[in-house]
Amino acid sequence: MAVLPCGVHFSAYKEAKSFLHTPYQWTSLIILFIFLLLLPFILPAKLVSMMSIMAILLVVVLGLQITTGLSGQINLGQSAFMGMGAFATASLAINFHLPFWLSIPGGGLAAALLGIIFGMPALRVKGFYLALTTMAAQVLFPLLILNLPSSWFGSSMGLGLEPAKIGSYVIQSRTGLYFLVMGGAVIMSFFAFNLTRSRTGRALVALRDNDIVAEIMGVNLFYYKTLAFAIGAMFAGIGGGLWAYYLRFVMVDQFTLWNSIWYVGMVIVGGTGSILGAIFGTFAIHGLEELLVTLGPWLSEAFPNLGGTAWFTGMNVVLGGVIILFLIFEPKGLAHRWSVIKHSFRIWPYPYL
Amino acid sequence: MIDFIQYAFDGFLIGLLYAMIALAFIVIYRSSRILNLAQGEVVVFGGFIVFQFATIWNMPLWLALPLSFICVIILGFFIERGIFRHLIGESLFTNVMVTIGLMIFLRGIMLMVWGPAPKLFPNIVSGVPVNIGPFIFSRAILYGGLLSFVIFFVFYLALEKTRWGLTMTAVAEDPVCAQSLGISVKRSVAYAWALGFVLSTIAALIFLSGQSIGFLASSIGLVALPVALLAGMESIWGAPLAGIIIGVGEALCKAYLDDYTNGTMSEAFPFIIMLIVLLIRPQGLFGWKIIERV
Repeated sequence: MAVLPCGVHFSAYKEAKSFLHTPYQWTSLIILFIFLLLLPFILPAKLVSMMSIMAILLVVVLGLQITTGLSGQINLGQSAFMGMGAFATASLAINFHLPFWLSIPGGGLAAALLGIIFGMPALRVKGFYLALTTMAAQVLFPLLILNLPSSWFGSSMGLGLEPAKIGSYVIQSRTGLYFLVMGGAVIMSFFAFNLTRSRTGRALVALRDNDIVAEIMGVNLFYYKTLAFAIGAMFAGIGGGLWAYYLRFVMVDQFTLWNSIWYVGMVIVGGTGSILGAIFGTFAIHGLEELLVTLGPWLSEAFPNLGGTAWFTGMNVVLGGVIILFLIFEPKGLAHRWSVIKHSFRIWPYPYL
Repeated sequence: MIDFIQYAFDGFLIGLLYAMIALAFIVIYRSSRILNLAQGEVVVFGGFIVFQFATIWNMPLWLALPLSFICVIILGFFIERGIFRHLIGESLFTNVMVTIGLMIFLRGIMLMVWGPAPKLFPNIVSGVPVNIGPFIFSRAILYGGLLSFVIFFVFYLALEKTRWGLTMTAVAEDPVCAQSLGISVKRSVAYAWALGFVLSTIAALIFLSGQSIGFLASSIGLVALPVALLAGMESIWGAPLAGIIIGVGEALCKAYLDDYTNGTMSEAFPFIIMLIVLLIRPQGLFGWKIIERV
């Protein structure tokens, strides 16, 4: 049970469901937002781009967290859903000249549709069989894109799109793009956090914990399993749409099975089933990756006999090792560690309650 | 007509190769209930170990092959000791996820040790193709196909007819129950991984003989997944049948349909079959139908 800060007690369910209880927590949130607003002006350019990519990945990983972590439906096709969103967004922007605030949700819907199609088997099969269906989605997705008419999704050439515009302001600068993707990430995190405490969120958790019992208790399995995929894929699609506007070029090669696997890794390291975990996981893994890429040249200079590529490829060993170690020693991920630390601060100086 | 039969036979032989990889997958699954998504990486890893002995350390094949097999068996035991022993009794979700971790880890090691560029794999059997009547076959694949029948038979006998094989099957059915009946779950999982590694290495020898080896070759593991699923995840004899169905179908798609679909039909075929199997008969052709009770 969560240990609450001193002096917090509830007299209504509504209060018990809220995330923020004390003025101190509200202040911290506001400070976080101010920090996010000021970030592009205080950090060097390289870090700003890194934060933008992280924000996009965060949206995708949040979706995976909802499908896999919250609802327990293993999904190895998140990158395909992201790709679907990116291609649909680009196509809507190019062929129908929709502004970004319509084309990105449009991409999300297209991805949700794909998610529903490949999530449908979830009713009949579960567990690892589901991993296989979503893996099939991941393998079939590029083949689908490549075989559709090139005016739809650009076939093998990919699609290049115009920068997003608000009125006459063109979002093209690093700062502008940062605000676009970070804005998307904040809105989607807000949705994700709120989903966990809604009726839908509880139904999803019920079907993760035991779907037969959930069905007996009146949770409509077909509806909620499909919904879990639809929501997860929609997040991926939105992430894909942001990606499309961020890079302004989408291609099939950007959305591989390998990326999907990395997203799963982020969920595991962050902590399955926790929205905060998705945030931790994305930042930890992507941060680690960026760190290795930055340190790589320096390290290969310091240890030349190991070869230049060893440090970049070493990332795989680190990530694979980290996933295995987390599953063995800390299956609840960083989010659990974080709450343990938080609790021990709250009950300090007592060792436990 | 000659062309058609040639395509079908090529598909048949490739299908047996797929079946062998699928068998590695099935052996691990039916002895430990672990779905090994890292199968493709395991195959290539076995290949790289042979490459290390035969090419880099320049050993003759009669020495390199036994050494590599000993090496992969030790590796299999190592994986059980290091990873899966800690996860006995954990949820299926954890077991699937840990193989994903293993997949990334193995690929990382391959990239670090042997580098990303493709290397030339030694010729295990001569590269000269065989002519049988009007048909031409790659020697490695043909011998591999013949060998695979022996392997299927041996594995069938070992897993279905011996006491040892049945204890492994019991572990797959219910690890907790098996443990309480005095069967060592740890040992079963360890043997499963060792056997899986050996089979994968044999498959790698056939698949890679005289070809180039690189980490991307692991995509063959992706094709073996639909084969294992179609066979039924517990069925030894299902594997060659399913392998042949997928292999022949893929070869014929490649020959006749790829021209109309930008060369993608053959790639998509196994996965379309997989989706159909999942929707119609998730336990595959000869798998066990498991009824879930609360």
